[in-house]
Amino acid sequence: MNYQPSDYLPIIVQLGAALAFIVLTMVATHWLGPKRHSSKKDDVFECGIESIGDARTPISVKYFLVAILFVLFDVEIVFMYPWAVNFKELAWDGFVEMVVFMSFLLLGFIYVIKKGVLKWEK
Amino acid sequence: MNAIIALSLSGIASLFLGFSTNRKNLLITTLLFVLVALGLNLADWNHEYFWFNNMLKTDNLSINFSSVILLSTALVVAISRSFGDDEEHTHPAEYYAIMLFAAAGALMMVTYENMIMLFVGLEILSVSMYILTGSDKRNLRSNEAALKYFLMGAFATGILLFGVALVYGATGSFNIHGIGEVVSRTKKGMELFEGGVILYAGIILIFIGLLFKVSAAPFHFWTPDVYEGAPTIFTTFMSTVVKTAGVAAMYRLLSISFPAVYGLWGNPLVWITCLTLIVGNITAVYQQSFKRMLAYSSISHAGYLLITILAKTPNTNGSILFYSLAYSIATISAFAVLMIVSENKPKDGKPDESFEALNGLSVNNPFLAFVLTVSMLSLAGIPLTAGFFGKFFIFTDAFSNVSPLFKNILVVAILMSAVGVYYYFKPIIAVYMKKGEIAEIQLPLIYKITLIITTALTIILGIAPDLVKNMF
Amino acid sequence: MMPILSILIFLPLIFALVIAVLPQHYTTYFKWITLGVTGVELVLCSYLYFSFDKTALSYQFQEQLDWITLPLGALGVGSIDYLLGIDGISLPMVLLAGIVMFVGAISSFEIKDKQRGYFGLYLLLTGSVIGCFVALDMFLFYLFFEFMLLPMYFLIGIWGGPRKEYASIKFFIYTLVGSLFILLVMIGLYLSVIDPVETAVQMGLIMDKSQVTPELITQIQQLLAEGKILPEQLVHTFDLRFMADAANFVGDSWLHKAAEVAMGDFSIRAIAFLLLIAGFAIKLPAIPVHTWLPDAHVEAPTPVSVVLAGILLKIGGYGFLRIAYPIFPEQATHYASLIACIGAVSIVYGAYNALAMKDLKKMIAYSSVSHMGFVMLGVASITSQGVNGAVYQMFSHGILSAMLFLLVGVLYSRTHDRQIDSYQGLASKMPVYTGFVALTFFASLGLPAFSGFIGEFFTLAGAFNTPLLPKWITVLGAFGIVLGAGYFLWTLQRMFFGNFWSKYELSLLPDLNVREKIMLFPLAILAIAFGIFPQLLLDVTNETVSQFLTLFV
Repeated sequence: MNYQPSDYLPIIVQLGAALAFIVLTMVATHWLGPKRHSSKKDDVFECGIESIGDARTPISVKYFLVAILFVLFDVEIVFMYPWAVNFKELAWDGFVEMVVFMSFLLLGFIYVIKKGVLKWEK
Repeated sequence: MNAIIALSLSGIASLFLGFSTNRKNLLITTLLFVLVALGLNLADWNHEYFWFNNMLKTDNLSINFSSVILLSTALVVAISRSFGDDEEHTHPAEYYAIMLFAAAGALMMVTYENMIMLFVGLEILSVSMYILTGSDKRNLRSNEAALKYFLMGAFATGILLFGVALVYGATGSFNIHGIGEVVSRTKKGMELFEGGVILYAGIILIFIGLLFKVSAAPFHFWTPDVYEGAPTIFTTFMSTVVKTAGVAAMYRLLSISFPAVYGLWGNPLVWITCLTLIVGNITAVYQQSFKRMLAYSSISHAGYLLITILAKTPNTNGSILFYSLAYSIATISAFAVLMIVSENKPKDGKPDESFEALNGLSVNNPFLAFVLTVSMLSLAGIPLTAGFFGKFFIFTDAFSNVSPLFKNILVVAILMSAVGVYYYFKPIIAVYMKKGEIAEIQLPLIYKITLIITTALTIILGIAPDLVKNMF
Repeated sequence: MMPILSILIFLPLIFALVIAVLPQHYTTYFKWITLGVTGVELVLCSYLYFSFDKTALSYQFQEQLDWITLPLGALGVGSIDYLLGIDGISLPMVLLAGIVMFVGAISSFEIKDKQRGYFGLYLLLTGSVIGCFVALDMFLFYLFFEFMLLPMYFLIGIWGGPRKEYASIKFFIYTLVGSLFILLVMIGLYLSVIDPVETAVQMGLIMDKSQVTPELITQIQQLLAEGKILPEQLVHTFDLRFMADAANFVGDSWLHKAAEVAMGDFSIRAIAFLLLIAGFAIKLPAIPVHTWLPDAHVEAPTPVSVVLAGILLKIGGYGFLRIAYPIFPEQATHYASLIACIGAVSIVYGAYNALAMKDLKKMIAYSSVSHMGFVMLGVASITSQGVNGAVYQMFSHGILSAMLFLLVGVLYSRTHDRQIDSYQGLASKMPVYTGFVALTFFASLGLPAFSGFIGEFFTLAGAFNTPLLPKWITVLGAFGIVLGAGYFLWTLQRMFFGNFWSKYELSLLPDLNVREKIMLFPLAILAIAFGIFPQLLLDVTNETVSQFLTLFV
């Protein structure tokens, strides 16, 4: 455990390489790509269909709610992997702690349901 | 740390209570929850415990800080009756729950033993505050404030976390006592110490993160906008609980982990302190809005608190605590009066928070006028109020430190105290000397009790500070 | 024995509370309550004067209670006491406060609106002013010193004239800056000075404070000088009696005489002394920090002006004698010429300004600046005559300026106009009034047989006799008397003599009524009495002053 600052050199090299790649590709595409401007070309959607109205159409907040709730509960599952791997060593202590954790999640879920967040048509 | 558990559980409980009970009962139960937590917190008095695999450590200092935080929370909850009066757009249960969670986060920030807990506590507190800041959903200023606070706060926490990582890299420990040992052991050969540069950078980054939270200059730019945009009740919470927690966290870290490298962080902090005092006080003078003035005043008080952290005398514990307490109760009084008056007299449908809104308050509402006056005098540091002794202790600390740096700080602090008087007297002038029409305002009982408590405490601590100071 | 000094402080404070809580329909009694309380205060002050032991060297009527005790960790213990007592310097001030507050209370009868607030604050002011003069603990002194600003601020700010907000906040901030200077020095002193008696108790040499002997104190001071007392056992104090003794300074403290700490060319002790002087000079007020005074006076209602000029200014001079000089005697000698110079310039500058003023009240305000300059000059001389004269001048100016402001108030209450140009030949229409004005003006300009003469004469004599001051400073000060005669006599001539002419109808200008006579007559008697029998006061001050001077050898 006796690192010299020079031991971090590979990291700097890696950083530099990553940065250089980004800059290189961006500059390269800019130079290489052909550029043709026309009123049709500069349209928002290039699918041949005339665009109508504002691109920023309001989307129902329900989508976001469901999405964020999904992410929330999904991420919590991550904690179960290490628990599963160390299931034996953690034994009953681990089990109890996991039960507490899951019951908190469950409480949150009940709250979400009671709040009516998942009711699509309200 | 049973109080943290209690607060977290009661936060969840209060979420579910929102389905079954009305707002008034919610207020009472939340108040009860906080008081229970306060009791649990005090039960650990005189016992030094490590909790949760050395993640937290309670000692008398942290219990004192927790008590100040919980007391402020209780007082803020008590005057929270009016937020979001229109039923359709408001969720009182959620806001009470978030306040309880925030208090739990603040408690973690004052009892942490492991740097990770500092980060977790800070995040719990900050994320709660982002939500509360934006809780006035139909108000554009509130939205702006929340977004601003969120973006800048996220940066600050990120920087703090980076600092924690660097300090870990330099010392190999997350544990604050462990870090302290490594730092003091290797202090003698600072130049030779291989992690020296990394440690230095880490300390500075942690500093920036925490200074942002206590709104010290030059990391204060979010403060006035956020304070002004947030609903007044949450501004009160922010300027008392968050500030106390931030200062306590900073003090805990500096006094336990980094006393050996005082020179490293002391010198920059001197300049930051001076700058904070100057910016806070001078800018406050030019404010037209009472609420914004209080925001700048909170910046300047952060400066005074930093003085005693810097002074590093054996009395610093007591001084910080006393000052935080004095500042918190006076600030709660001031914001409460502002809230009551501004909501009573809306302008264009919004609460009027300028100084003019206070004009002539003393005529029909002598009680409110008196409460406001006492709180302003305390913030200005006039004798026979708690604020005077707060300043007195801090100046004494600064004096007993013989480092020549302190001459600068003292000069700045003294001059800025004088400047402070000018703007703290503006509301007093408005209340007593300007003409205005404010009808008698009917105060709910719980408001009256709260204001009597804060005012009486301010005066009692101004006459007999040793009642509390010797406990700290 | 009766705790008479505590009664003096707390009686008004208690009645201020009473006024605050009495129901609305008692409003008419507020002024009578105030008058009664200040009357009792006056009686008590006179009692103090007559039972004062003029030969005793120590403080009299002492009271002491432990108030706040603070553990300072490795620095020992800090103790703040409730400590009162008076000597020959504070007694005249207490007596003056009694007289002026009583007269001010009579004058306050003209206040008609918001009486509850006014009389409550007036009593609050009375208590804190007297507290300031009798406190022997510096912290207590400071507390009263700063707390007194609050009632004064509100009295000017609420009941004042058109520019009251500006005047009151200016008054407040000026004085507050001064008191912050004093606070700084106070903290420095607090960390430097110990209480030998309490320290002996802390060390276990004696069981309680009653067993203390002079030998023991000397022994403790000896130990302190040798640095043999553990820091944890030191009891830091604000006690002014101990601060005045150089032997009580902790060896390595900032303000010890041998301390090496310095900022630039100044030693820390010099800076501390100059900060104190600046703080008290603002209150005095001396050039160039006097500008709050004319503004405050012009806007303040008559009784408040009376109190402001009559007593509040004296606290500045009193602070010199009680705090700055005894604690830093060597600095006082060193900076004597500077202080005397400020005093002399104040005299002349104040007088010149007074000459130019068109507003009668402003003229009198500047004459106050001029007269308080004599106090500074006298104190700076550090001679028996000078210091006695300074105390005498404070007392005399207290009475005379109270009269002057009352007299302006008489005119103002009739026409609401104080311009000198608006009146001419008043003598023929208001003879009694003119009589009082003439008497007061003559007394103020220092005519023999009036109290003003004694004060000015002694201060100038002291300033001439001292080797500390160059003669030209005193000559400059003496020149101020000539100017003083100039503006007083010129005003008298312009306003009172000649043919009657006024912007106002004669019916608006009746002569003095009974209440005004009751206020003015006793003050006139006092002004003459103290002019003819100076020993009435000099006997009281002399012993204390000679003891005070032993600090400077």
